[in-house]
Amino acid sequence: MNYEIIDCIDAGTQFCPCHLAESNECILCSQLQGKSFCDCKNWRGTCIYQEFNWNNNIATSERESSEGLIISKEIIYQDLIKLVIKTNHHLCKELVNAGSYVFLRCPESSPYFDVPISIMDCDIQKDTISMIIEIEGIKTKKVNELNEKDTIMIKGPFWNGVFGLKNIQRCTNKNVLLIARGIGQAPIVPVLKQLYKQNTIWLVIDKGRYEDVIIKEYINKYPCNIVELKTIEEGKLTQDLSSLIDDYIEDNFIEHVHCSGPDILIQELITKVNNRTATSCCNNAKVCCGQGVCGACTTRFEGHVVKRLCKLQTDPEYIFEGRRQI
Amino acid sequence: MKVVIIGGGWSGLAAAITAKKAGADVEIYEKTDMLLGLGNIGGIMRNNGRYTAAEELIALGAGDLINLTDSVTKHKNIYFPGHHHAWLYDVNKIEPVVKEYVEDLGIKIFLKQRVIDVKKEGDTIVGIILYDGQFITGDAFIETTGSTGPMGNCLRYGNGCSMCVLRCPAFGPRVSISARAGVPDLQGEREEGVCGAFSGSCKIGKETLSKEICKELDEKGVVIIKIPKEDINLEKLKQKVCQQYALKEFAENIILLDTGHAKLMTSYYPLDKLRNIEGMENAKYIDPYAGGKGNSIRYLSMAPRENNMKVDGIKNLFCGGEKSGLFVGHTEAISTGSLAGHNSVRWYLGMPLLTLPKSTAVGDLISYEGNMTNTLEGKRKRYTFAGSEYFVRMKEKKLYSTDTEEINNRVKKLNLQNIFGEAII
Ligand SMILES: Cc1cc2nc3c(=O)[nH]c(=O)nc-3n(C[C@H](O)[C@H](O)[C@H](O)COP(=O)(O)OP(=O)(O)OC[C@H]3O[C@@H](n4cnc5c(N)ncnc54)[C@H](O)[C@@H]3O)c2cc1C
Ligand SMILES: Cc1cc2nc3c(=O)[nH]c(=O)nc-3n(C[C@H](O)[C@H](O)[C@H](O)COP(=O)(O)OP(=O)(O)OC[C@H]3O[C@@H](n4cnc5c(N)ncnc54)[C@H](O)[C@@H]3O)c2cc1C
Ligand code: FES
Repeated sequence: MNYEIIDCIDAGTQFCPCHLAESNECILCSQLQGKSFCDCKNWRGTCIYQEFNWNNNIATSERESSEGLIISKEIIYQDLIKLVIKTNHHLCKELVNAGSYVFLRCPESSPYFDVPISIMDCDIQKDTISMIIEIEGIKTKKVNELNEKDTIMIKGPFWNGVFGLKNIQRCTNKNVLLIARGIGQAPIVPVLKQLYKQNTIWLVIDKGRYEDVIIKEYINKYPCNIVELKTIEEGKLTQDLSSLIDDYIEDNFIEHVHCSGPDILIQELITKVNNRTATSCCNNAKVCCGQGVCGACTTRFEGHVVKRLCKLQTDPEYIFEGRRQI
Repeated sequence: MKVVIIGGGWSGLAAAITAKKAGADVEIYEKTDMLLGLGNIGGIMRNNGRYTAAEELIALGAGDLINLTDSVTKHKNIYFPGHHHAWLYDVNKIEPVVKEYVEDLGIKIFLKQRVIDVKKEGDTIVGIILYDGQFITGDAFIETTGSTGPMGNCLRYGNGCSMCVLRCPAFGPRVSISARAGVPDLQGEREEGVCGAFSGSCKIGKETLSKEICKELDEKGVVIIKIPKEDINLEKLKQKVCQQYALKEFAENIILLDTGHAKLMTSYYPLDKLRNIEGMENAKYIDPYAGGKGNSIRYLSMAPRENNMKVDGIKNLFCGGEKSGLFVGHTEAISTGSLAGHNSVRWYLGMPLLTLPKSTAVGDLISYEGNMTNTLEGKRKRYTFAGSEYFVRMKEKKLYSTDTEEINNRVKKLNLQNIFGEAII
């Protein structure tokens, strides 16, 4: 039976209650959706209504931007850079788990230029974060104007960069298949780091438009079984990946599949896996404020359901099932 | 045939036992790590009309749990204001005894399994969903989730979570399963327009009371101490769930009962004031932990039901205990639960469902409560064999008796002897 268990990534953190609670739009709490009684299907360990009440019925303060220092910038390809940024310890320690990301921006740009970028690696001894950025358009080009020793604005921490986090947390002594394509390699690193010690990992890498694998450093550091292949062609899974999944689920007893790539790949993969294993994937929504207000990430589903993908934790299946265009 | 029970308090356990005896496979899903729910902090049995009901349950073949509470009774036949022949079971001994008994009957118990939703096909429930998405199928379902809390309700309608034995922050909140199945809940009121009611007693660690109080509690089971005049608060009586204890004596005195802990017969009492009382200078709350601030809020989640305990509008959902009405008490939970369990099996077999006649105390309470909750006045009352309005009625209708033989004969005459004890599958 399929049953969607949802969660709010910020519930139980210093960022809860948020503005959604103030406007009776909390994604979890019935009392903060304008109802008169509790109906706590989705419970994260704290009573959001109580937190809100104790906070004098106002939202807690929003995430703020802080200054970071670019300590290295490596131009991997013409349109692909790796940044290592020195932050503060307070922020850095909140960015260790898979799914963590921050917004980056040039100090002189307005907050409209905030661009969400996943944490690829995070060193809480040195308080540095590493990330790989694809230079795409207006926001990332602006970030690319910065160089080593420049100051960069960082807003965070944010955590909803991965859907199905609960499934990842359940992985111990499991056979796990990770699939990354193109820039998706960067956010798969924390997943690999989190799982490689206690699980057996197969990592499928599709270089995408790049000549070579871009996370070599990490796959040496976190040993796993590497398979290089093309994952998708003309919007369909390649024969190679398709049969690999069938074989691996049957022969290697894979119990979890994680995909870090474009939505089209994730969607095809979910259909292919067809509930034979648990899944997780990266969050490819348009994320602008990251805190439930701007509406950029809202996605509509059948039955007049609106999901705020910057806040909502759910399993990958429910990101695509019944999705509607507006 | 499989009966799935949601909530392992007294009513859920009673339902499990009668369903099992009738011949079903039975599973109990309980959100905490203990059975008994509020039964872990109550203890008073057989006071006033509860004596009659307890003997009636035994005669009807549903005396298992009564026998168990009797077996760990600390004090028998004690008196405290308004209450005669009360028996007090030891709340620190009862749970493991019950758990073992229920397991020995072959009933499957699943602890730390919070139920969050149901799946329906038409008007029939096909299964329940656990907190982690697991789907559990069954033929008939019995909701015995009580009516306490959860935290948000205790805050909106009370003084906030006071950390009661149900431990919502640790095990997750109660969910109204009937409401999830599409049947809106009914609410009790404490006064006009004010929903819910405060639980009516707390537990204080006996070790924290003076030697003299402890000694008297051990010997007599009850201690009554005058409250300083300036601290008497008659207003608080109105808020109470347990109208059988909403007597002047309970506002003017500290009444302590020995149920293993010292049971303080008031809904909450500021700790600094409590410690002004002689012998209680070092008192400490054991349940609810924040008994100085508030108590749990109850009766916000009752399912509309028939007198055979079937929930209106759903073919295979039954209910018992506080879920099934404005009932207060272990004995009341066991009574309603027993009927629900038995009828779930009858329903499956296509047999007519049993309604207990009004010439039994249990049958009369169930039908009286059913009529009253639909009235404005009735919503503000609570229904128990132990006192207030219903006990008056019991006496008027000559249902009240402490004569076991008389009670047995009544049940026999109605041909209901051991009806809950017989296998029907
Ligand atoms: C949680 C999260 C983590 C991400 N991690 C990385 C990463 O580690 N490395 C990386 O290179 N990229 C990452 N991205 C994608 C990156 O944010 C976009 O490529 C970037 O915003 C493009 O903006 P632009 O102005 O440069 O280009 P535009 O020309 O505006 O857009 C280029 C493409 O990016 C999409 N895009 C634009 N704005 C956003 C936005 N606010 N959120 C999401 N997509 C957007 C557009 O739809 C278009 O497909 C991540 C996105 C999210 C939501
Ligand atoms: C402080 C206090 C003292 C009392 N003292 C006495 C007394 O001395 N004598 C007396 O007769 N009565 C007493 N009562 C009243 C009596 O305890 C209750 O009326 C009776 O026990 C209720 O039983 P129940 O089975 O209906 O509900 P509960 O005991 O509330 O049981 C419900 C059970 O369901 C579980 N549950 C709830 N939701 C879910 C879910 N979604 N999934 C799984 N499980 C769930 C709960 O954890 C709980 O174990 C007292 C009550 C209180 C609060
Ligand atoms: S990104 Fe602004 S609401 Fe989700």
